[in-house]
Amino acid sequence: MKLNRIRVEQLRQFRQPIELRDLAPGLNLFTGPNEAGKSTLVAAIRAAFFERHRSGSVDDLRPWGDSAAAPTVEIGFELGGQPCRLVKTFLARKRCELEIGRDRLDGEEAENRLAELLGYQHAGRGASKAEHWGIPGLLWISQGSAHELHEAVGHATDHLRNALEQSLGEVAASGGDEILDKVRTLRNAVLTESGGKPRGSYKEALDRVATLSEAIRALDERIGRYRERVDGLARLRAAHAADEAEKPWLAFRSQEREAATRLATARGLQTELDGARERRTQAEARIGLLRNQFDAFAREQALAEQRAAALAEAEQACRVAAAPVEAWRSRYEQAVHTRESARRVLKAARQRELHQGLLREAGSCREGLAACRARRERAEAAQQKVTELERRLAASEIAAADLTRLRTQDRALADLRLQQATAATRLVYRLSPGSSLAIGDATITGQGARELIDAATLHLPDLGEIDIVPGGADLPALRARCEDLADAQRALLARLGLTSLDEAEARVIVHQRLAEDLRAAEAELAALAPDGLDRLRVEEARLQARHDEVARALDSLRGDKVASAVADRDRAVVMDSGGAVRRDLAGEVDCAEDVRPGDVRAGASMPTGRAPIDSGGPDPIETGEDGAIETGALEPGVAEAEAAEQAASHSLEQARESLHAAQLAVEKANTVRLAAEREHLAARVSLEAPDRAARVAAIGQALTDTRAEQASLAARVETLTAALADARVDILEQDVVRFRDSAEQLERQHAERREQLMRLEVELQTEGAAGDEEQRAGLVRDHAQAARRADELQRRAAALDLLLRLLDERRQALTRRLQAPLQKHLNRYLQLLFPQASLEIDENLTPGPLTRPAAHGAETGRFEALSFGAREQMGVISRLAYADLLAEAGRPTLIILDDALVHSDAERLAQMKRILFDAATRHQILLFTCHPANWRDLGVAARSLEGSRPG
Amino acid sequence: MPRFLHSADWQIGKQFGQFEPDEAALLAEERFAVVERLAQLATVQAVDAVLVAGDVFDAQTVADRTLFRLFSAMAGFAGPWLLMPGNHDAALAESVWTRAARLGAIPGNVTVCLAAEPVVLEAATTVVLPAPLTQRNTHADLTDWFDGAETPAGLLRIGLAHGSVTGILAEDIDAPNPIAAGRADSARLDYLALGDWHGTRRIDDRTWYAGTPETDRFRANDSGQALLVEIDRAGEVPRVTPVVTGRYRWSSTSAALAVASDVDALIERLDGLGSADVVQLALSGHCDLAVHRRLTEAIARSRGRTRSLEADLSCLQLAPTPEDLERLAADGYLGDVIEQLGALQQDDDTDRAGTAREALVLLAGLLDARRGGAGADLRKDADAEAR
Repeated sequence: MKLNRIRVEQLRQFRQPIELRDLAPGLNLFTGPNEAGKSTLVAAIRAAFFERHRSGSVDDLRPWGDSAAAPTVEIGFELGGQPCRLVKTFLARKRCELEIGRDRLDGEEAENRLAELLGYQHAGRGASKAEHWGIPGLLWISQGSAHELHEAVGHATDHLRNALEQSLGEVAASGGDEILDKVRTLRNAVLTESGGKPRGSYKEALDRVATLSEAIRALDERIGRYRERVDGLARLRAAHAADEAEKPWLAFRSQEREAATRLATARGLQTELDGARERRTQAEARIGLLRNQFDAFAREQALAEQRAAALAEAEQACRVAAAPVEAWRSRYEQAVHTRESARRVLKAARQRELHQGLLREAGSCREGLAACRARRERAEAAQQKVTELERRLAASEIAAADLTRLRTQDRALADLRLQQATAATRLVYRLSPGSSLAIGDATITGQGARELIDAATLHLPDLGEIDIVPGGADLPALRARCEDLADAQRALLARLGLTSLDEAEARVIVHQRLAEDLRAAEAELAALAPDGLDRLRVEEARLQARHDEVARALDSLRGDKVASAVADRDRAVVMDSGGAVRRDLAGEVDCAEDVRPGDVRAGASMPTGRAPIDSGGPDPIETGEDGAIETGALEPGVAEAEAAEQAASHSLEQARESLHAAQLAVEKANTVRLAAEREHLAARVSLEAPDRAARVAAIGQALTDTRAEQASLAARVETLTAALADARVDILEQDVVRFRDSAEQLERQHAERREQLMRLEVELQTEGAAGDEEQRAGLVRDHAQAARRADELQRRAAALDLLLRLLDERRQALTRRLQAPLQKHLNRYLQLLFPQASLEIDENLTPGPLTRPAAHGAETGRFEALSFGAREQMGVISRLAYADLLAEAGRPTLIILDDALVHSDAERLAQMKRILFDAATRHQILLFTCHPANWRDLGVAARSLEGSRPG
Repeated sequence: MPRFLHSADWQIGKQFGQFEPDEAALLAEERFAVVERLAQLATVQAVDAVLVAGDVFDAQTVADRTLFRLFSAMAGFAGPWLLMPGNHDAALAESVWTRAARLGAIPGNVTVCLAAEPVVLEAATTVVLPAPLTQRNTHADLTDWFDGAETPAGLLRIGLAHGSVTGILAEDIDAPNPIAAGRADSARLDYLALGDWHGTRRIDDRTWYAGTPETDRFRANDSGQALLVEIDRAGEVPRVTPVVTGRYRWSSTSAALAVASDVDALIERLDGLGSADVVQLALSGHCDLAVHRRLTEAIARSRGRTRSLEADLSCLQLAPTPEDLERLAADGYLGDVIEQLGALQQDDDTDRAGTAREALVLLAGLLDARRGGAGADLRKDADAEAR
């Protein structure tokens, strides 16, 4: 196929016609800037072929805003050596004309013819799409789609295969793929694609078979049960009828009655036996009673004798018991006496002791009182002395400050006087004896000196007077001060009652001595009366009182002296007999077990006859003015007397108890004897009853009779027992029960069976009405039909599976044969582009992995993994290879490249240009580009679309 | 001269699973229709009684409606009917008969012989001795009692029994329920009316199987008839005349195809079938695809006319010829596949061979359909499957 002319009008930007004439059979290069209309031109060519002229989906061909446009494409071309012309007008005037040689075709016919010739399809509805484009879709490469190879090849595969098969001279399947698809669809409708499991109607059929089988099985079970029960009904009826005829329970009833009769007889025997046994038992009881009575008489006799013996024994016991009582009584009386004596001794001893104590106390009181009084007197003297000393001390006391002042004043005065003396006018005189002079008021005689500190008038007798005024100014001042000081001293002394310092000093010494005396006096007082003088006086008074009291007590005691003498007499008795009593008691305790009453009496008499011994000791005497009672050396002490008294009391107690015990024993023995006497009397009374002998005889007779009766009854019982054992009442009873139960069992069974029959009849009637067997027949029929259908489908599925497998295998085998020529063509171009590379072709005739030599051996990569540029190049050469194949098969080829290979680098592009040039020797190639410079070395003149526009 | 109509094995309630549902329904329906025809025949022939020798019902538990339908179908003959239980409808403790009686479905002129007791037909001067089955199957001869049964002198003695005559019938029918050969003689019967064997069959002068009045199986056995029995007087040999009562002709054909004429004859036969035919066809041998197409077309045509036509072509091998391939435009690998499938039919494994055959038929059908030509069946099938 070679285009030689293209004319486009009222189509997009080509509102005015544009015509490209004289297209070369090989390479045609169309250039123009963007928007120049290159792609529009390509679109026009596509529309002319692919779109139905009647299509309403070609609005995009309309020039902008021109609703009345009738886009028209006119193409002149040569096909199969015949000149052709295609004119197609869309939209406003829908027309299609095709001339092939002399043939003229219109409308759809023309379109279909073209599609058949070129290997593409028209869309059923709407705009034509890639899937319809077939071979032209593969060879006409749209802008930027050179690299998208697989899809284009896919859409063209059938056409390719058809074309190629012819070229190979093979007989390929016409529409084989269609059949294959259909078989696949059919097969996949009944079997799953992967597992080949039933699905769809096949599966439904199998399910239905299974469902029906199950239903039949269930129904079979029901029918089976129904039939069994029908058979059961027959058996029940037969059994029931047999029962009705035979009535087997009647036999058992009569057997039951017979057994009951025999049982009644046996029970009569039993009653008789029970009576005999009863009477025998009564006889035995009577025998027992009689024998008891008989024994009672014998026992009375024995009792009487026994009681007589007991009485004798009791009397003997009474005598024995009475014997020791007298001995014990005398011993008791003696013990009473002994104890009285001990008590008197004890009292005397106590009085004596009291008297002596008082005497001792009176002495001590007297001594204490004298001592106390002396001490008090001395203490009073000491007190007086202290008081005196204290008074004197106080009088002699000079305050220390006063003394100091005195001393200070004295020293100051002395100083002043010394100063006066120093400054004073010394008057030394030697007077003739007997002469006198008066100086001032003083008269002087003899010789002497005088220091005048003041103006003094010296009276010279008869002579007059001489005033002497001491020189020095301060003398008067000194004198004044002296006088002041002396006045002060005098005042102080006066206050102190002194006359001079010396006196004061003397008094200080006196005071100190007095203080020492006072301390001594106080110490003496403290020693005499540590608790004070008053305390001493109180003590003295207390002692005085005590002394008076003791004196009174002694006075009163002196009156009791007579009583004391009696006690002394008893003392010896007590002292002696106490030990004896104690000894006796010990002996009695020792031999109490063995001693006979007689011995006791002998022992008890031992202490008797012992005479009391008088003590010859002096009576207590009174000594001293207080009249204290003297105690003799032989008098017993209080403690001893108390011990004796206690021993006597104890002896008395023992004796009384023994006496009491002996008296009790006598009482007891008497009581026993009295009782024995009474019993003995009673026994004798009953023995001596008048009808006693007659009664004994009567009882003996009755006993004999009753024994005879008992023997006869025992024989009867034995006979009856044997008879009963033979009759076997228990077994007879069981027989009755057994026969009765059997009869009842049979009757019940019969009744139950009747009920069962009725029930079963009703049930079976109900179930029979369900028409199970007819229903089953229907199910079996349905099952057979379903099974048949499932079988058919199974066979069909297997057949489809087989068919699909075979078709697939064959088709693949064929495809493999078709791959070879394509490979050849592809390699031709490939070597130009990638030397030593190889490209695999898959079963869909699509390029597969590309293998190229690399630095480290061969390198294989998938087509999709190549770079965009490489893919584009591969896309172009693949298409060229397909074109070669098609050309060989005598199919029309036209290659259109719209701005292809723009991503190729210069080197590759150069190779591609060689390839294109080579391909153009076999195919017409229309190449549109906006880069004319890139294609300058293609060996053809570039046509500018701009230049092609008319006008 | 007493006249009787002897029938048996009505098998009311029987279903026909081997047929398509519509066909099966019609066949089941016909079993009632034939009873109507029997009644009509009895009336026309003015028989003294109709004797039915067992298996009136196909099963014990049938629907009430079925019961009523049967007895109303018998309304066409007002004379006495003697029905006897067979092995399918034995007189069990609870049976189809007790239920029919309970439902009040049995008309007054119908006597059901539930017990082995003589039934006197006074108008016909006849005593009927029935041997009903009271169990489903028995191995005792229920007709034994006929020998000792006393009947009034001058009356005909007619036995009525259901089972296999010992030593005469093949064992593929119900082997139990034996009937001694020569029972008619030994029991001094004028006629022994038998049931159980579905084809009409004469055992001896006085002993006959009536067969089922409407054929119900393919086994060739002369069924679909009733017997008109005429006895001039006691001791005379009865005149027995089979009368066709069945509507459908059941036939089973198997043919081995080898040459074209075989096919032509077969197609001619198929085209000759009518609406009363129930046909089972099993083909073997081999044929090419064109012949196969003709055959299937003929079968389809015939199906339209017959009551039922079941064709089993699974043993018929297909041998595609070059003409076949050309006709089907089966070029390229399609042709290869067809050849391969043809060869696969020779497989020893019959399943695999069958599958290959089926696949071949399918492929041919698809190719036919593609041509828009014949093979419409297959295309229809294919479309149905595709849905």
